[in-house]
Amino acid sequence: MKLFFSQLGWELYRLFARRRTYIGFGIFLAVEILFYFLWTGEKAEDGMEVFIQRVAGGFDEYFSALTLAFLIVAFTMLLLGVVFVSLIAGDILAKETEDGNLRLILVRPISRFRLLVIKFLSCQIYTTILFLFVGVTALGVGIIERGWGGGMLVWTPELPRVSLFEWDEGLWRYFGAIIGFSLIYLPVTGIAFMLGCFRMKPAAATIVTVAVCVADRVLSSIPLPAFDPYREYFITSRMDAWLLLLYQEIPWPLFWEQAAWLLGIGLTGFLVGWLVFERRDVKS
Amino acid sequence: MSMLSFAGVTKKFDRGRPAALNEVSFEVEKGSICGLLGHNGAGKSTALGVILGMVHPDAGRVSIGGSDVLTEREKAIRKVGAIFETPVFYEYLSGWKNLKILSSYSGGVSRDLLEETVAWVGLEDRIHDRVGKYSHGMRQRLALAQALLPRPEVLILDEPTDGLDPEGIVEFRGQLLELREQLGLTVLLSSHLLGEVEQVCDEVVILQHGVKVYEGKVRGIEDGKVAYAIESDNPEVTDEACLKLGGTAIGCGYSFSAELNPSQLLAGLVKEGAAISHFAAHQDSLEALYLRFSGSADDESPGEEVGR
Repeated sequence: MKLFFSQLGWELYRLFARRRTYIGFGIFLAVEILFYFLWTGEKAEDGMEVFIQRVAGGFDEYFSALTLAFLIVAFTMLLLGVVFVSLIAGDILAKETEDGNLRLILVRPISRFRLLVIKFLSCQIYTTILFLFVGVTALGVGIIERGWGGGMLVWTPELPRVSLFEWDEGLWRYFGAIIGFSLIYLPVTGIAFMLGCFRMKPAAATIVTVAVCVADRVLSSIPLPAFDPYREYFITSRMDAWLLLLYQEIPWPLFWEQAAWLLGIGLTGFLVGWLVFERRDVKS
Repeated sequence: MSMLSFAGVTKKFDRGRPAALNEVSFEVEKGSICGLLGHNGAGKSTALGVILGMVHPDAGRVSIGGSDVLTEREKAIRKVGAIFETPVFYEYLSGWKNLKILSSYSGGVSRDLLEETVAWVGLEDRIHDRVGKYSHGMRQRLALAQALLPRPEVLILDEPTDGLDPEGIVEFRGQLLELREQLGLTVLLSSHLLGEVEQVCDEVVILQHGVKVYEGKVRGIEDGKVAYAIESDNPEVTDEACLKLGGTAIGCGYSFSAELNPSQLLAGLVKEGAAISHFAAHQDSLEALYLRFSGSADDESPGEEVGR
């Protein structure tokens, strides 16, 4: 087990030693700043004031650092989440195969399964760190703008009603949702990772994953009753499970059910990828 | 004793295309250096891939030090170090970090062994520089270091001197021979450079279109034997005489026991009725051997006559 963690540690070291890893962090930060300006612009703030007064009262109380950070994170993730997770997971194996690094690893006494577990876990840890970075920086921006303290207001069309939290509870809900984000992206990691195990260019694995997610989202959003029986089979509708952590009362059974589905889809992607990679010939 | 056994291996990548390897068998003795030769597409890389467990054969068995690569891959591969043509490292990391990462997949190695290996390949001054700044020769040294780190018993080398300058090739050759002498390594070397193979290898295996066409000594003659190019006015009688005197037919003529004095041999042939018109000790070059067995040679293969 010690050796496994040593190998995982080196894999993470390798990932974080790359300069382009930080390009991703930089892009997320830039988009966060963009959304910060959008949400603190005069018109947006006026709109928020009207909305908050109507649903919660006390604009100064509820347009807090946490509320602002939530808005920044939600929109940043909507824009970049799938793309970046696909990029990381589609790249981690396919790029090494394409470049030739993998040959020097595959001639070591390590099973392909173990190697893939290390790579997959690295993706998941990397994703969690990236999302935490987004969460912390968004909150930092919020605190600079609105100061420490106040309440937290959460509303999206998927929520049954507006959720209102005190600062302390809002803080753990906020970071709980961020961690939840890295879990709900497990199917995206699974699909991209699986495609990266095929004889496929890394860019192709990323593009196909993004295309699948976009198509899934579009189809699941079609408001036709004919689609209702099939709605539970769409991945992206289950990926909204992170919002359950922001319900006034968290529906834990529903959350765990959705989490189990997402975990199952992610692990299925991993297993299919492993079966393909196990049979694959890697010529020197 | 055989260190590496490649038995009846067949591999076909695509239906409708000829097999990359067709029932190929050969063995590499412990402590020997064996060259794997063949034109592009002959099946050399596939053979190395099968040995390293990276390519799954359709049939056959491969074992390293008695461990089956197909059923006990990790145990078999633990004994192996490998270098590929144009080795690829993580460019943004130092040579040291690359070695640490790669050796972690072999179970990890001590700092002392790492330093000792780096010093042995002569990279100690630059090992903490980024690999992106390394010359091709330095990368090749780093490749040798990573191959030696699991303390292998077998080295698999795929075009290891490709792209090296002449000095680099000479240096690498010296290192290879030193390794065999110091560590008793068994080496399988795939190379296009026949001169290099001729200078370091004890035996060669020649592949052509996925089929083994030759396995044996580098110069095509067994130890303790001498080859002679013999021409006569009555070839049939001469052939019979050669066989009677213990000769073995080889491509360029006949090989006889080295204990047999050339003048005695000539006298014996004449006594048996052979009308000899040309008699010379013949040393087949690897190039001649290769061209003959790979089907590229003219009828007059370019051997080297070493005495008349």
